Formats: sequence, structure tokens, C-alpha cells
Amino acid sequence: MALTIISLIKQVPLPTEMRMGDDGLMDRTKAKSIINIDCQFGLEAGLQLKKQYFDARMIACSMGPGSFEVALRTAISMGYDEAFLLSDRKLGGSDTFATGLAISTMLKHLGFTKDSKEPFIILAGRQTSDGDTAHVPSQVAESMGIPQATFVETVKADGEGNVIAKRIIEGGYQMMKLPMPCAISLTPTGIPPRKPSLIGAIKARNSKITVFGIDDIGLGTEKIGLGGSPTIVAGVVNIVSERAPITMSVGHNETALVDNLISNLNKGGNILEKKEAAEKKTSEKPEFPYYDNRNGAKGIITWAEIANGKIARPSLELLTPARKLANELGNDTKIMTLLIGKNVKDQANILFEHGSDEVIVVEDDKLEEYLVLPFSSIFEQVIKERNPEIALFAATTSGRELAPRIGMKTGSGVTADCTGLEIGEYVNRKEKVINKPILHSRRPTYGESKLATILGFVYPQISTARAGTFEVPAKMEGRTGIISTFKPKLSNDEFKVEIQKTVRGEGNSVNLFDADVIVSGGRGTTTDGLELIKKLAGALKEKGVKAEWACSRVVVDEGFSEYARQVGQTGKTVRPKLYIAVGVSGAIQHIAGMKESEKIIAIDHNPKASIFHFADFGIVGEYQDILPELIERVKGGFTFGIEPAKN
Amino acid sequence: MSNVDTVSTDILIIGGGPSGLATSIHLADTLKQKGLNHRILLIEKGSSIGSHILSGAVIKADIFKSLLPDVDFAEIPLNAKVTTDATVLLSENGSFKLPVHVPYMSNTGNYTASLGQICRFLAKKAEEKGVEIYSGFSVDEILYKDGKVIGAKTIDTGIDHHGNQMENFQPGTKIEAKLTIFAEGTRGSLAKKLIQKYTLDKDKNCQVYSLGVKELWSVPEGNIQPGEVYHTMGYPLNMKEFGGGFVYGLNDNKVAVGLVVGLDYEDPTFDTHDAFQAWKTNPFISKFLKGGKLVEYGAKTLPEGGYYSIPKLYTDNALIVGDSAGFLAMPALKGVHLAITSGMLAAKTAAMALSKNDFSEKTLSEYENFVKGSLIYKDLYPVRNFRQGFAKGLIIGGINFGTLLITGGAGFFGKLKSHPDRETTKKLKEFKGKPFKERFKGKLEFDKVLTFDKVTDVYFSGVNHDEEQVPHVKINNLASFDAINIKEYGAPCQFFCSSEVYELHTDKNGHQELRIHAENCMHCKTCDIKTPGDGITWSVPNGGNGPDFQNM
Repeated sequence: MALTIISLIKQVPLPTEMRMGDDGLMDRTKAKSIINIDCQFGLEAGLQLKKQYFDARMIACSMGPGSFEVALRTAISMGYDEAFLLSDRKLGGSDTFATGLAISTMLKHLGFTKDSKEPFIILAGRQTSDGDTAHVPSQVAESMGIPQATFVETVKADGEGNVIAKRIIEGGYQMMKLPMPCAISLTPTGIPPRKPSLIGAIKARNSKITVFGIDDIGLGTEKIGLGGSPTIVAGVVNIVSERAPITMSVGHNETALVDNLISNLNKGGNILEKKEAAEKKTSEKPEFPYYDNRNGAKGIITWAEIANGKIARPSLELLTPARKLANELGNDTKIMTLLIGKNVKDQANILFEHGSDEVIVVEDDKLEEYLVLPFSSIFEQVIKERNPEIALFAATTSGRELAPRIGMKTGSGVTADCTGLEIGEYVNRKEKVINKPILHSRRPTYGESKLATILGFVYPQISTARAGTFEVPAKMEGRTGIISTFKPKLSNDEFKVEIQKTVRGEGNSVNLFDADVIVSGGRGTTTDGLELIKKLAGALKEKGVKAEWACSRVVVDEGFSEYARQVGQTGKTVRPKLYIAVGVSGAIQHIAGMKESEKIIAIDHNPKASIFHFADFGIVGEYQDILPELIERVKGGFTFGIEPAKN
Repeated sequence: MSNVDTVSTDILIIGGGPSGLATSIHLADTLKQKGLNHRILLIEKGSSIGSHILSGAVIKADIFKSLLPDVDFAEIPLNAKVTTDATVLLSENGSFKLPVHVPYMSNTGNYTASLGQICRFLAKKAEEKGVEIYSGFSVDEILYKDGKVIGAKTIDTGIDHHGNQMENFQPGTKIEAKLTIFAEGTRGSLAKKLIQKYTLDKDKNCQVYSLGVKELWSVPEGNIQPGEVYHTMGYPLNMKEFGGGFVYGLNDNKVAVGLVVGLDYEDPTFDTHDAFQAWKTNPFISKFLKGGKLVEYGAKTLPEGGYYSIPKLYTDNALIVGDSAGFLAMPALKGVHLAITSGMLAAKTAAMALSKNDFSEKTLSEYENFVKGSLIYKDLYPVRNFRQGFAKGLIIGGINFGTLLITGGAGFFGKLKSHPDRETTKKLKEFKGKPFKERFKGKLEFDKVLTFDKVTDVYFSGVNHDEEQVPHVKINNLASFDAINIKEYGAPCQFFCSSEVYELHTDKNGHQELRIHAENCMHCKTCDIKTPGDGITWSVPNGGNGPDFQNM
């Protein structure tokens, strides 16, 4: 029984290579291509599994233009055996739904189905740097009808046909047992990808890469490409940074550097030159008739995610855009919220008080912890019964795997990680109608440099909303609504995946949300176990400033801090008056959690650390030198211009 | 733990610069003519061919006609033909165009070029001829059997800072070869070991070096014409320091500027990068750059010892070519045509050895005879005493050069000795001249328009190193480094390094320690050459690491 390990990879422009051209736009022509970083971690995870199954067949697959062969050859030079590329002009413009469908069709063509006798594991990167959706792994899994785990850091086989995966969740992790075949997406925090070996490169040079067109794999054109995809990109605009360029401190030792920082802070740093936005060319709106293609779909459904027995904050935030959309739609549009769990009915009141009109409760002891298979099945059944026009999820690690899996079931596209949601219209020139109302989902992409507007034409229109973007709606004391219960049909198959352990830190002991100053330590500050970080926060507290210390995820992983202090995509999204990032390299996951801070000071020894791109003030230096100096200044009364809190 | 994979080849060429590529091309051609079929493997440490290549460059392009007789000369990606060629004497703010050329320095008929571009072109041709080129792989070990070279091994990867294997450990690949050709460029780290092991430098002068730093600029139309070439003498160097600057006009309103400084200077605080920045402020230079933008930055060393510093070029199963051997013509500072010639001669030797299936010293010694009968000898022998003469400064060097011209290179004293560059550095206390910072007072505030600090410049080299690996520069003796290098010399590495790899950190209590930022390294190897005392050893980092030069 030979195991096959299939790695799905995508070739993307090297993020650091995306230099700005003379016009201020990203110069993509100069960008070199690499295998998407997350996909590289997927490749490595496969090679780690091969240590356990040394006779495993190693396959790398990709979909894209012929130039993607380069990435596939790199996979072979790292240790893979065979490579397949799905390449067809007709696939151009495919959205994530169509991509998931096309890739799974190729895999089925290669003989991999959920009923295959031989076991296989599909590995993929969590998300790509040029798309950032994290959808495709879920969509491939759903399309193949196999279990999945996303946001996984490490995988091991248990020797009995199961995969043990460590899945990262908000505030902690889960150990999961998945039967083969299954699909797993890897975060870029596991075992870093190995370098190709010379012997591998020689093998890659002599390997033939099989290239399929859609006819070869029996894929029709109805649901792929620009025309067949359920969603379209209606527009892309540049995101103009709201942060002025960084002011770096200069000086030959820590005293001079800190002196310079203080004087820069007093001067107020650089000022962003607001360029007047060019007059928007309003193209004539043609005289097409309005057309409502909802076909009876009505209402907004949201998901109330339970973590630690409580409704997670992002699920409450979600009710803000939901209410706004309901108002824009008018016509008495209701917000339904699906609440799944064990003994969760009592929490419906919290949802009513924050804006839900109806709470649909599904209670089952087996549903205490979120599981993608039964939860997506329940959603599918509820959607079929209620026929909502919009489904919204918080873009948490669970939301971002649940939504695309549901989207694959309903044939809808999904828009990931939105920061703006509104109701608008779409001039459909092909059919000579104006579609109205339609959901405009806005999401940052290309490394947060562009804002894309995505429209979906299959109902429900599904979007996930970025955590920390919307405020939790004001509580309306005493507001009530309709509670209904739903009894889903669930088969045993849907409980094939077992959660062996959930580790989640308590979130109560610290309140990062209320702090005026957050001193945050990254990987670079673990040498002294974050002692200096804590001392700086402590010194500020002694001066009466509301200060807290926090950290990046690595620090938590290495046991230096409790989860409650973690800032970032899987931690907290904070907006203090001042965020001091020390030894934080600036991984996009961490940036997501702190970039809304009013002022950011970055301290790191590496002048090329990307944190400096997001900060207002910067010091290049060793934290062991700079922090003692800063602490001394704080003791002398310097509080970074932050007023002590009045009690 | 893991068993190491082995590949076998007939010929292994280490290094994808002009000499290695020329070797592979000429060998493939020669074998084809003879109707022979042998495997030729070329390994390059840069992420791609050309990414570690830096040169001025003004090239004697005729050499390509002999290397690639089957290629139309117009196809070779040269830049502009030299139209104006002048030597200019600079003072701090003034300039004086010399009415005549320094002998051996005429550039009539030569071309400006990006050597990186040329190497990419040569690599394409080599692959068409059946050479297997693998870039992004570092070779860090010579393999021996019974005391003889039998090939080389690529570096083990997946190793942490302390040398421990990580989970993604990947053992290197052994390459067994009948003949290994070392074409690593200046101060090749394996060639250095090879020369030591077989004392190939016996009875030879030691090699001496210069450090060249270069910037490529994009300038407004009209600043300079393509093919305008200027060499400068004088400022920022004094009469005791050897070297000079260059300005080469390129197509598409690009201009290459650089400063080359002999590493036998005495001032332990001398900083070539900073001197180069000061040089750019001379009005004669700055007028070419006005309104322009920095595009790329890089640094490399050049072997300048000349004829008497060339080691024995062969041992059983191995040959040395190009800069690794020290083929560079002074005072013209031209090595590309010699590198290519040496590669072609090595190829001729290799073809002969392959047909005899004999790779012994005896057969390979033919290579040295070929070199002596070639233009390498013609270029190097008459100036064999040139560089040594300048060790005593410009005036004595100039007089010596004069006598060389009269005596056909012999001079009045026969073979002049050279001294390792590390030994010429003076201790802080013993150095009597004006220290560098005082000499260039007011010139070392960089405006980031015309002049740049090192960190900014390094950014423009595209340099990149894997975080997890054993640092590839190593202080040979920590104790003596602290006592001698830091205390007595003031850590010259913090100044001579053009990529900000070495930082001498002084804390508030006055304690000093050297911090190494190996990730900035541009692979020029000055630290391996110029560090006094027990020194620093430079070895190859992971493959694909280092600068990413585009048009240098």
C-alpha cells in the first residue's frame, strides 16, 4: 500500500522583488518568480512525511501558464518525483471556485478520488501572496469530497492510515486526526522548506513535466475561466498608504539613537503628502433596464463562532456590516445568525443585543468544537431551507476554511478577508442589463497594495470579513428576536475527523484592547525571555500610562508568553495610541494585528526587516542596547508623548 | 545520517564567470570537432549566471571572435564602442585631463559592457553546446582520494547557526570528476585550499589585490555619451595609495562609476566605499551623475600581483583558470580577455587529457606551456614588475614603471617582491598619516542623492542570505582578534568592508565587540585578504545566496 503525497503549488512574483516603479506603482516586470512561500512549506511537509513513508510517491501539481514549469522543476529538485501542470488559455480569469474545480478534476483524472484504494494526502500552502484568499485548498477538498484541515503547521502520519495535523486557531492550536485521503494546507510557520540539492536539480533537468489542457482531463468550460467563474473582479484601485514614510533614528550608539528618536517624536515625524486623487472618469451609464437576479433569495445569514464556550468577538463585529447591508437592501431585510454548539442557546440574547433578528440554533454534544465537515453540511442545509441572498463569516481561521467549503457546495464564489462591504449595482454589458442590488465586497490584495472589488452572481453571495476591521455594534440592552431550532441531517462520515486536543489560552487576564501603549516583542527578543520588553511596559505603567506588553506568535509558541498577549492574524487586532515593535520582523500575519495603531515605533537589528515599512519611527540596533536606554528615559519622565491615564 | 548522493562527470567546472564559461564552451567545441562525447558540468554559486559578476567593464572584445567563431559578433551583448578615452588627474575639487595616455592603458577599439550580461549570453551558448549548468549551488569541499583531487562536494543545507542539522537538513551532493577546473574568480575559496595543499605558490610572489566598488546610475539624457570612457588618478587617493576611478558611458543613459584601491594601503581606518563617495563629489565626476538615480551597487576584489604571483596552474586532476589564478593585466586592469583565454587553454588541455584518458600532472603541465605561448604572457610579462613598484608609492612606482618601459619590464633590480596586503596595514599608533576620517572631514555626510551610506548602497546590490546557516565569515582566532585586531588596529574590517558586514559596537561602558552581519556580504572577500593578524576566513554560504547583480 504505497502512499502518494500530492503537493499543490503556485508560482508567484517574489514579494520583496515587487519594487516600486517611477510612477509609484509596483513594477511587476522586474519581479522574479518563486514558488509561493506557503506552498514551499507544503512541499517541505510532504518531504517530512516521506521520512515516515520512504517509498511514498511524490507528486507536485500546479495550474497556470507554461512558465510554471520552473516551479515544478524546483519541486523535483527538492525531492519530488513527478510533476503535472494544468495549463489552458480557457482557464484564464478563473476565480478560486473555478481553480478548485479545475485542480480537483485534474487529480481525479490522475486517479485520485475519495474512493481510491491507495491512500493519498493532498498538501497545499495556506494562501498565495498574489491572491491571499486561502480558499483553494478547501475548495479542492470539498470538490473531491474528502476531509480537510487548513492553517496547519506540522503533519505526521500515525502509521494507521491517519494524518495527525497541528492546526493553528485563534489563541492556540488543535491536534487533529484525519483519515486518508485528506487535504491539508500549511502555514509558513512550520518546518522551513529545504534548499534544492544538486542531485535533485540534475534529476529535474531530465524530468518530463506532463502538461494537461482542459480537454485532456475532461473539464468543460461552463464553470471555469472568466465566463464560468461565479465571481468577477469588478475593479481594482491602489491603496494609498495612510502612514507617512518612516523616520529612522541616526546615531552612533544607543544614547544618540534614543536622543534622536525623542527629537523625531517631538517633531512629529514625516507628514504624508496627500496627493489629490485624479478626477475619476465617470463612464456613461448605458440605458439598460434594471434586473434583480436574486430569484427570491432574501436575507443575510451570519455565523456565530464559539470559542471557549463564548461567541467570538469577530462574530459580533460581523453584525456591523450585516446591519449596514440590511439597511441598504431595505425591504425589511433580516439578519439571521446560525449558532452551532453544545448548550449554546443561552447566548442567542447576546446576538440579539448586537443586531441579529433571528438566531437559528443547532445544538449537539458532538458539535462542541468547530469541525469543517459537519458545520459546512449544516450551513448547506440551512441555506437550502432559508435561501438567503448574502452569507457572512468572520475571516478567522475557521471562517476562512468554512466559507469556501460551503461556497463549493452552493456553487457560489467567496470573497475572502473583506474590509468593506456595500450594496451596489453592476452594469452587465454582455446581457445589456444593470444588476441591482448586488453585494460589492472590497478586499486588499497584492500584499495590501491594492483594493479589489469582487462581485458574485450565484446566491448566496458569500464573503468573509477581516477581524478587527469593523467595530462591535453598540449593545442594545433588552433587544430580542426570534429563536428557532434546526435539526440537521448528519452522517457519521461527517465526523471522520477527530479533534484530539484543543489548546486555547484564556483571554481574560490581559486587556490589550484598552492599552494606550503596547510594547511588543518578537522572535528577536527571546534571548532574555522578553525581560526588557516587560520592563519597558512596566516603567511606563509606573508613570501612570496605560501600557501592556504583547508579542508575536513565535514568542507564544516558544512558551515565553500566554496566548492572550499575542498580536496578529491568529491573535488580537489592536489599535493603541502607540505600538512599539521590538525584534518583530514584520511578517504580514503580525502586521495585520497592529497596523491600525495610531503611531508605530519599530526597533530591530535588521535594517531590511519589513516592520520598518509599516512604522512611523525606526531604530536599527540590538534591542539589548536600545531598550535599557529607553527604560532609563522613561524612568526619567519620558512617556513617548502619551498622557498618563486619569483615574 | 543520510547517505550522500554522488554524481559522476568527466569535467567539473567550479564557477560560472567568464573563465569557467569559456572553458566549457571551448571544450565542448573541441570535443565536438574530435568527435568525442564527454559530460561537462558547471556549477555556479550565484542564484543565476551573472548574479555574482561585477566588472567595470571595458573589454577587449576581439577575444569573443576566437571563443565563439560560429557566432555573429553583433550577437554578443556588448554595450558601446569606446569613442572618447581620457585619463584625468583629480584634486579635491579640480581636474586636469592628461594630454597623453598612460602606456598600456589605451582603450581604442574596446567596448564597454556589463560582464554579467555577457556571462548570461555565454551560458546560453554553452548550454546549446551541451554543457550542463547548475546555478544556485555552492561547492565548499574538494574531494581527494589517495592524495589527489577527485572532484568536489556541494554544501550541506538545513544547518542552523551553531552547525546543528535541522529538520530540513539536505546533504550536499558529491561530484566525482576526472578533471576539476577551479574558476571561482578572485581569491577562490577552494582554489585557496588547493594552492595551500599542493603549495602551488612555491617560489612565487604572494598575490596582492585591489578592491573595486562600483555604482551603476541612470542619468538624464546628455550627461554622458555611450562609449565615453574616463580613468582618474589622484583624489581621493594620496601619493602612497595605488588606484584610481573610472567613468564609463553606457547605452540607454546609464553610466558606470567606480573606484579601485590597492589593498596595500597603510591606514587601518581607510574605507574604500566612503572614499568612493568622496570621489563622486569632485565636480568632474558629479556632473555626469547630476539629476540621475542610483540603480545598482557592488564590490569585488581584483588580483593584481601579475606574472610573478601566478601560482602553478595544475596538479593531478585539477586546473586553475581566470581570476582564481590571478590573470589580470596591469596597469590596464583588464582581466576578462585573459580569463577567457585561460579558459580556452584549459579546455585545450582538458580535451587532450580526455583523448589520452590521462589527467596526471604530466599531461596537464601542457596548460602552463600553452599559457606561456599565449597573449596572457604577452600581456603580463612586460609589466611583471609593475604593481610591486607601486608598493612604495606613486612617485617611486612611476619611476619604476618608467624604467620598466625602457628595460622591457625587467627594471634595474630584477624580480621585485610583493607583500601580503594584510601586512601593510599599520597599527593605529604606528600609522603616521592623517587618519581617513580627518582626511575626508566634511565629505562623509552622505546626502542620499549623490552620495550614499553603506547600508543604502548595499540595498542596491539585491543581496540576500538564508538566515539559518553557519555564518560564512569566521574570525580565525577570537582571542587574538580581540587583543590585536580590535585593540591595536581598531578593527579595520569595519572600514574596509564595503557591505557593512562588520560592526564594532561600543556600549556605554566602553566595552567593544565585533558584530557580524554576514547577510550583507557581497562576496568580495576583502576580509579574507586584508584582516591583520590571524585574520578572517571567507567560505561559501548556501547556494543562491549573495548579491543579485543585474547589469554589473
